[in-house]
Amino acid sequence: MQWWCSQLYKEWSWVPQPYLGVWLIVGALVASRAVALRRWKARLGTPGVTTRQRWWFWLGVIAFWISSDWPVGTLGAGYLLLVHMAQYLLYTFLAAPLLLLSMPEWQMRRLVQRLHLHSTLRLLCRPLPAVLTANIILLSTHAPWTVDTLRVTQLGSFLLDALWLIGGFLLWLPVISPMEEFRVKNGPLRCIYLFGAAGLTPMIPGGFFTFSRYPLFDTYEIAPRVGLSALADQQIAGAMMKVGSVPVIWIVITVVWARWAGAEERASREALKAARAAG
Amino acid sequence: MKNPLDSLTRRRVVLIALSAVAVLAIGITVAVMRSDDTPDAAGVGVALAEPLQMPSAILTDTDGNEFDLRADTVGKATLLYFGYTHCPDACPIHMAVLADVMETLQPEVRDQIQVIFVTTDPVRDTPEILREYLANFDPSFIGLSGSDETLYDLQVAAGVPVAVAEPMDDNGGYLIGHATQVIAFDPTGVATEVYPFGVRQGDWAGALPDLVNRR
Repeated sequence: MQWWCSQLYKEWSWVPQPYLGVWLIVGALVASRAVALRRWKARLGTPGVTTRQRWWFWLGVIAFWISSDWPVGTLGAGYLLLVHMAQYLLYTFLAAPLLLLSMPEWQMRRLVQRLHLHSTLRLLCRPLPAVLTANIILLSTHAPWTVDTLRVTQLGSFLLDALWLIGGFLLWLPVISPMEEFRVKNGPLRCIYLFGAAGLTPMIPGGFFTFSRYPLFDTYEIAPRVGLSALADQQIAGAMMKVGSVPVIWIVITVVWARWAGAEERASREALKAARAAG
Repeated sequence: MKNPLDSLTRRRVVLIALSAVAVLAIGITVAVMRSDDTPDAAGVGVALAEPLQMPSAILTDTDGNEFDLRADTVGKATLLYFGYTHCPDACPIHMAVLADVMETLQPEVRDQIQVIFVTTDPVRDTPEILREYLANFDPSFIGLSGSDETLYDLQVAAGVPVAVAEPMDDNGGYLIGHATQVIAFDPTGVATEVYPFGVRQGDWAGALPDLVNRR
């Protein structure tokens, strides 16, 4: 029994495969959350999270589980580059932001304090370092050398998936962090940050994947075929990389912009009212 | 007041950044090298100790006609492979890679190459099954079969390990251990290289025009 999905060189089968590591992580996520909430309630008598945060948590856990377990995890680790790309999108643009949104401020503060990450995250969450980090993770984890080296072992494959999830957290912290000091304060700057961090760079590897004459990844070329030729698979993966994050990014940019504009309008109305009252 | 970015944090961040940049630099370099559309003609094949003449054998093709391996392959480059249709790994991967690369070749090169798949499992690989299997990759691939004795002699003559059936499983199925290299014969019927499992499309695309032009 494998503990994490990795390249298999075996004919693809629709018979489900268990992955112990995935179940353990999902179990640990759920258990640690339950324990934290129980302790909070015992001490303060309040639930500690909102109903919405409960929903975000379960959706985030489901997104993580789907992207890591059979069949998505297995197909992405050794059969189809397009599924590997779907995994990246699920980890970075769904699981990570949902789990962040699910976290109440007190829980995040406690976690950051325990891991001694406050200063590091403060620096990494500044717009420029955050843009650089997000893009470095994006480019390095999609380079053929990285993928071909890591996907052959369970540990390597786990590392790649973990990097995507961590990269997702770092990408979203400046936008939706439960801790205010990690968020980019200015609304328009937050939109520019998100566009710079996730909207531009995917075009580069995506272009390589789409327009290359031969398959770039040994992992997905020297693999039993699952319905698509290696090149067609790569071209679809390239297209996914270019446009896959667009709906999430642009919806969030629109929401951030609308909220900022609304707040500005309210503030100017208040200022006008105050000026009239004074005059 | 304590500086929020103390020296330990700075060092940690610099270390993370340097590691990330190093990984990125290596990744981009390899990506750029791999994405070069010029196929690499430099040998990925493994040179044979001595040139190998196309073995002489009379086999049967998927239409039931006789196929004289030596006579019927003269004038075209021939990629000879021993495998079986129930193979779970090497055979479908090899055939898929070859089929994909054939589509990328210039027609004048493509027309000068034939891929021959000789079954090592004549009991299960009936002509119909063999034809259907190969048609999934490329209808022009030639499937051949023969008696156990003919197939045994052919593998010995081709210098590959003779295929051996493994014990049957509970469902009556069985795997066959067989050679996984493709033997590449030039149009005169001489092979000087074999191509092991794992040769990639870009490498084939570089090697095949060279093989076709070898006289």
